[in-house]
Amino acid sequence: MNKGEVKKYFFVLLMIIFVSQIFVVSGCKKDKDKIEIPKNLPIHEERPSPQNQEVVDQIVSSFPSPVEVAAIIKDMEVPFSKKYLADPGIIDNYDINFKKAFGLGILSADLGYLNVYERTTLIVEYLSSIKRLADDLRVGQFFDFQAFKRLATSNENLDSLVFLSVNSFSNMNQYLQENARGNLSLLMVTGVWLEGLYLMTQVYKEHPNDRLRELIGDQKAIFTILYQGLKLYKDDDYFKKILDEFKKIDKIYSQITITYEKVKTPQQTKTQSGIPVYEQQERSVINITDQQINDIITITEQVRNKLINL
Amino acid sequence: MKRIAFITTLLAGLLFIIAPYKAHAQCKQQMVYACATKGKSIYLRDFNTKLRSSKQHERSARWTVVLNKDAHYRFNLCTPEGYEDKVIMTLYDSQHPEKTNPYGSTYDLKTGQHSDSFDFICRKSGMYYISIRLKEGVKIKKTCAVGILSFVGSTH
Repeated sequence: MNKGEVKKYFFVLLMIIFVSQIFVVSGCKKDKDKIEIPKNLPIHEERPSPQNQEVVDQIVSSFPSPVEVAAIIKDMEVPFSKKYLADPGIIDNYDINFKKAFGLGILSADLGYLNVYERTTLIVEYLSSIKRLADDLRVGQFFDFQAFKRLATSNENLDSLVFLSVNSFSNMNQYLQENARGNLSLLMVTGVWLEGLYLMTQVYKEHPNDRLRELIGDQKAIFTILYQGLKLYKDDDYFKKILDEFKKIDKIYSQITITYEKVKTPQQTKTQSGIPVYEQQERSVINITDQQINDIITITEQVRNKLINL
Repeated sequence: MKRIAFITTLLAGLLFIIAPYKAHAQCKQQMVYACATKGKSIYLRDFNTKLRSSKQHERSARWTVVLNKDAHYRFNLCTPEGYEDKVIMTLYDSQHPEKTNPYGSTYDLKTGQHSDSFDFICRKSGMYYISIRLKEGVKIKKTCAVGILSFVGSTH
């Protein structure tokens, strides 16, 4: 091959690389995972250490979905009530990203409740606030507001609405974790969990039942995991305020004991449609007094109302 | 010689185009959506992964998941057509190990039968593991799999 031919093929190779990069770059524009994170984040959003990040990632990725508590409550045939929900207008007071992440968790849990109860007219109001918070946290690209609005107003396909809601939340969380902003993810799941506990306790006040009582007591297991995660950031002012409030919840939960006993049921049965059903052979027994459940109700209400208004 | 140079150039260029996309081989959103909405239970979470038999660490994926006491959950596994009996989804923890005594699985160790879903009635709140892995001995270039966790109802 002479010098001219080598040059010719080198030129062809360069052209292919150039054209491929145009495709890659234009593809990236559509790829929601490729949004650039500014190098200088605000002081309130310091990046967690890699060790903390790993622990936090595991906590965040394992946490229950924002619709789960609502699904359990609806399954108990408890009627819908708007009074359990936070005012979507609270976000006007959120001036730092930590508050916004926490608020995003609170409102996502409320959105889950509205979705499960199919309250489509209220959904749009909550969606607007969630969208604003998500945009401020630079995760708004995972939130297809128009699709949400279309589904909510058409009053059709509520399965899709739940899917979109849960999926957007987990994509936002995953993106924050992958970009070393796991502390914001932790605040989001903290908001979801606290609003879920608030919902359970408020419902219990009006519709007391054994299932809910046990579930509230059993939140000790989940609270312990979350509390340990939050402690990793105890040096930060905002986390410190949350921890100060969570100490009050911890004080009550530390009095509740959980024991375990064997269950005598067949391990595997089948549903009518032939799906194998496995039942756990060990169950937890929650030892909780009336005084303790009342304390949890009171403290949860105080803590939740204080934190959403910080 | 010219032909070899031309083919080499073309292959190098194509490799350059394809390479960035190879890293993302999880199932597409349409498949996740179809899998999540195929039953009457309420969708809670998905576990989406790529699988490859050539690399040991890509034969399986694992997630932690917090489950609530007295909840009846459903786990659905969806794979591209033709891979139904090659991928297994399992629910386990340290006391109920994945390979010997899991809580539930889409593959029945005793009968050797596959199912695309299983239900789990949780009796203690806590953290559990979900794995999606290629069945022992399966050799494939690559595929994807998505697991769906959904809520069926309460049991008390």
